[in-house]
Amino acid sequence: MNKVDSRGWRMALAGTACALLLASCTRKEPRANEEPPNPADSQTDQTPPECQGPRDPGRVTLHRLNRAEYDNTVRDLLGDTTRPARDFPADDHGYGFDNNADVLSLGPLLMEKYSAAAEKLVEATWKQDATRDPPLVRVCAPDPADPLPCGRQILERFTRRAWRRPVTSTEVDRLMGFLSLASEHGDSFDAGMKLALRAVLLSPHFLYRVELDPNPASTEPHRLNDYELASRLSYFLWSSMPDEALLAAAGTGTLHTPEQLERQVRRMLADPKAEALVDNFAGQWLYTRALDSFHPDPLLYPFDDGLREAMRQETRLVFREFLLGNRPARDLMDADFTYVNDRLAQHYGLPGPGTQEMRRVSLAGHPERSGLLGQGSILAVTSHPDRTSPVKRGLWVLEQLMCEAPPPPPPNVEGLPPAVDPKMSIKQRMARHRSDPTCAGCHTLMDPIGYGMENFNVVGAWRLKEEVSGAEVDPSGDLPGDVHFKDGVELRAILKADPELDICIAQHLLAYGLGRGPVNADACTLRDVSKQAEARGGRLSDLILAITQSEAFTWRRGEAEGTNEGGAP
Amino acid sequence: MKDFKLSRRTLLRGMGTLMALPVLEQMVPSVARAAGPGAAPRRLAVFYVPCGIYMPNWTPKGTGRDWTLSPTLQPLAPVKDDVLVLSGLSHEPGRPDQFGHHAAGTGAFLSCVKIHKTDEEEDVRAGVSMDQLAARALRPYTRLPSLELGNDGGDGTGSCDASFSCAYARNIAWAAPTSPVAKDTNPRSVFDRLFAGFDPDATRAQIEKRKAYEQSILDFVREDAQGLKQKLGTRDRRKLDEYFTSVRELELRVAALDQQAPTCSKGPRPGNTEDVREKTKVMCDLMVLAFQCDLTRVATFMLGNGRSDRVYDFLGLTSGHHTYSHHQHVPENHAALAKIDRWEMEQFSYLLQRMKSVQEGDATLLDNALVYFGSEVADGNSHGHSDMPVLLAGRGGGTVTPGRHVRYGGKPVANLFISMLQSVGVNVSSFGDDGSGPLSHLKE
Repeated sequence: MNKVDSRGWRMALAGTACALLLASCTRKEPRANEEPPNPADSQTDQTPPECQGPRDPGRVTLHRLNRAEYDNTVRDLLGDTTRPARDFPADDHGYGFDNNADVLSLGPLLMEKYSAAAEKLVEATWKQDATRDPPLVRVCAPDPADPLPCGRQILERFTRRAWRRPVTSTEVDRLMGFLSLASEHGDSFDAGMKLALRAVLLSPHFLYRVELDPNPASTEPHRLNDYELASRLSYFLWSSMPDEALLAAAGTGTLHTPEQLERQVRRMLADPKAEALVDNFAGQWLYTRALDSFHPDPLLYPFDDGLREAMRQETRLVFREFLLGNRPARDLMDADFTYVNDRLAQHYGLPGPGTQEMRRVSLAGHPERSGLLGQGSILAVTSHPDRTSPVKRGLWVLEQLMCEAPPPPPPNVEGLPPAVDPKMSIKQRMARHRSDPTCAGCHTLMDPIGYGMENFNVVGAWRLKEEVSGAEVDPSGDLPGDVHFKDGVELRAILKADPELDICIAQHLLAYGLGRGPVNADACTLRDVSKQAEARGGRLSDLILAITQSEAFTWRRGEAEGTNEGGAP
Repeated sequence: MKDFKLSRRTLLRGMGTLMALPVLEQMVPSVARAAGPGAAPRRLAVFYVPCGIYMPNWTPKGTGRDWTLSPTLQPLAPVKDDVLVLSGLSHEPGRPDQFGHHAAGTGAFLSCVKIHKTDEEEDVRAGVSMDQLAARALRPYTRLPSLELGNDGGDGTGSCDASFSCAYARNIAWAAPTSPVAKDTNPRSVFDRLFAGFDPDATRAQIEKRKAYEQSILDFVREDAQGLKQKLGTRDRRKLDEYFTSVRELELRVAALDQQAPTCSKGPRPGNTEDVREKTKVMCDLMVLAFQCDLTRVATFMLGNGRSDRVYDFLGLTSGHHTYSHHQHVPENHAALAKIDRWEMEQFSYLLQRMKSVQEGDATLLDNALVYFGSEVADGNSHGHSDMPVLLAGRGGGTVTPGRHVRYGGKPVANLFISMLQSVGVNVSSFGDDGSGPLSHLKE
């Protein structure tokens, strides 16, 4: 295998990084005379000048709970597992994630759904709590002679949990008003309590994650209070509300200390609720959520829901193991194990584990299946229904693993038509990308990476020949900077050796963890995060830990007045 | 929820039967408020299809009343005299500076405003859409100002189109430049929403109590929001404004709890389905039901999201819609597109026939409506924004003469929107970036 010169390749990539115009992709040989940013920086203590001094922690816009967060929150708050948010309108995406606070809007339709859901949730919980042991909400039995003290106790506790912070006595007083209202109308204590609980669930303090700035118009950074930090942690790792232990830690005022933060993060990652990180972070980072709408051409590629589910589980289980396990995050590129059941093993051409349950299997002797690039879920969602797409696969690698998205194609050339001549191999058809100078720049980066994955068909099965053309698959490719690989295994090694792989993973984690897009200072934060994580072992959990301890995560600032871009009607 | 017990309706079951009902006397009061005694309310509907149309199969031969249906328009045969084909209209605001024609075209589809390029996928900004202007004006007359429907939510991944925010490709209705109006993609939940809160057996006192309770909850949370707003910065306050608007809208619904009991049979509650054929049909039924019961007078429907790559396997097609739409002049792709377009037209025709089957006095629901059909681009391959595929159906209560093919030499679609808005009683003389006045030749 050729000696991997990732730096040269990375430099060629960098030429496209800040490209706004298509022409930028056509940039050739960026190595000459230009000293690349030294990848070894991440191993030294030398802090670049722009990363010295005070750093902008950024600010997260008032964050509405997205659908997953709403469902998980009512699950933990009310024991409700009906996932009421399934009927809510879809959340928009920003920076690849549907938890971006800036694009999470709230319109009348959603408000109606919130209102209907609150009524239904409260009715169900109130009823179930009559027999639930211990009760989640009705934590005391009201004295018929004077039910108010118990009512107060229930509301105080419930509201603290629902609003994820202590409530003031004024707030509880206002809620107690619903008891009087009900009794004025001749209704019972229960009726008044249910009204109050609905109000709690419809309040902006529940529907939004509120973080306050002492002076909203000042850009001076300040530390989050511990309750705000608790919510950031729990919505990052669990897509849900803080539990009692986290609220208690916030209550002691020590949550922000590095020791306490680490203790909580480790505890939370080990909790089954961290499954949310798999579903919501990995599902979007790796695109595997798109599996639901994946419909391959049934004549060419046998596929069914059993296979779909097995593929989804495979990626979930592998990611979960990385989250909890002891391997460096970069091993995601070539991990020598995976999870399969008999069906998936047969599909992959691996020995079956003898069950339809997903089992961990070694990939020793099957390096072609190792790591993310060997997983059916990812290979499928980066394909067209009727053919593989080196372009989509290459783009996926560049965007999701390298954080180097090339600019979009010019008008009129998007999408590749089916082969005019079905005898043409994929590489022959892709040759068009190189012959056209407006395409060549970007496709010189994307297409070869995709070639390295060409041994996998649309549904991720191994193949030596293309289905339609019958041409033999040629999985070799040339990357800019004179980097050559002969197959997918060598491609994995190149990707794994990329000095910024960790930084890229951290970048996606940060955008997701904060629910905001990047600010300039985040480049420095990511550099620090990856350095700290590396020193601890470079595991996924180390990256997460380093992120939660960064200033971007624990601090925020206000927003100078007069930056009101966009306009109210 | 219990069924409504209107004695004269008890024999009627199902939406199919419903469509043939004569105008109900109970409807008259709200009708009268809208357009004078005896006149039926005017409705405005929009039917959006993604990825453009294969235009050579679309444009009819002949003009005026002397025209023949093109192959794609063939499914409109039963309603040919109710449809106006408008050729040669342009939609320049939908043209982005560089990439992202689908996002830009969809964001501008009804707003006619060039959308803000969201390089950073936030700070979304389009313009107030035509349907929402109408909804605002017609707000006093119905329980719901408007109904936004669609087949696709959008749980996909990555960006929607050339780093434009997904909000553009997923919404055609915009209440404010920064506020897309989310659409409902679940038929059952649309149905529940249309008929929420009604209890035909409730006494006056019970209704009053319910109103008092609901209002007190809304008072409580609005006070919360007001207290919060004082502590927030500019951008957060803007986020919270969406909350205030939504609470106000809910208040209107609560206030109307006793006023506007539905005046028609609601039929069976639809099931949920992800089959696009069934879903489209049910969504059309629901639109007609909402109009017929006068629960709203404005409705929009997105058959798919902008740049949809749906695989129409039931048409024998194996690749996605968007992929085919970049046909590269390959005949097989043209054939695939023509199939999809024709299927879309069958759905549109179904909607029109449903509307036409509802009698309202001497006229039909369709006669009292204007239904706009369009897409975010003209031809998907070249991403054209001139010579858009545009249809207008219905008579708008006599403001439009359908049954014709009219050719325009590049007039903006926004002018058509001005005419449509005027037709439902909204007094506008300009609209969007390029709407300068009503479109000529809509009435003969």
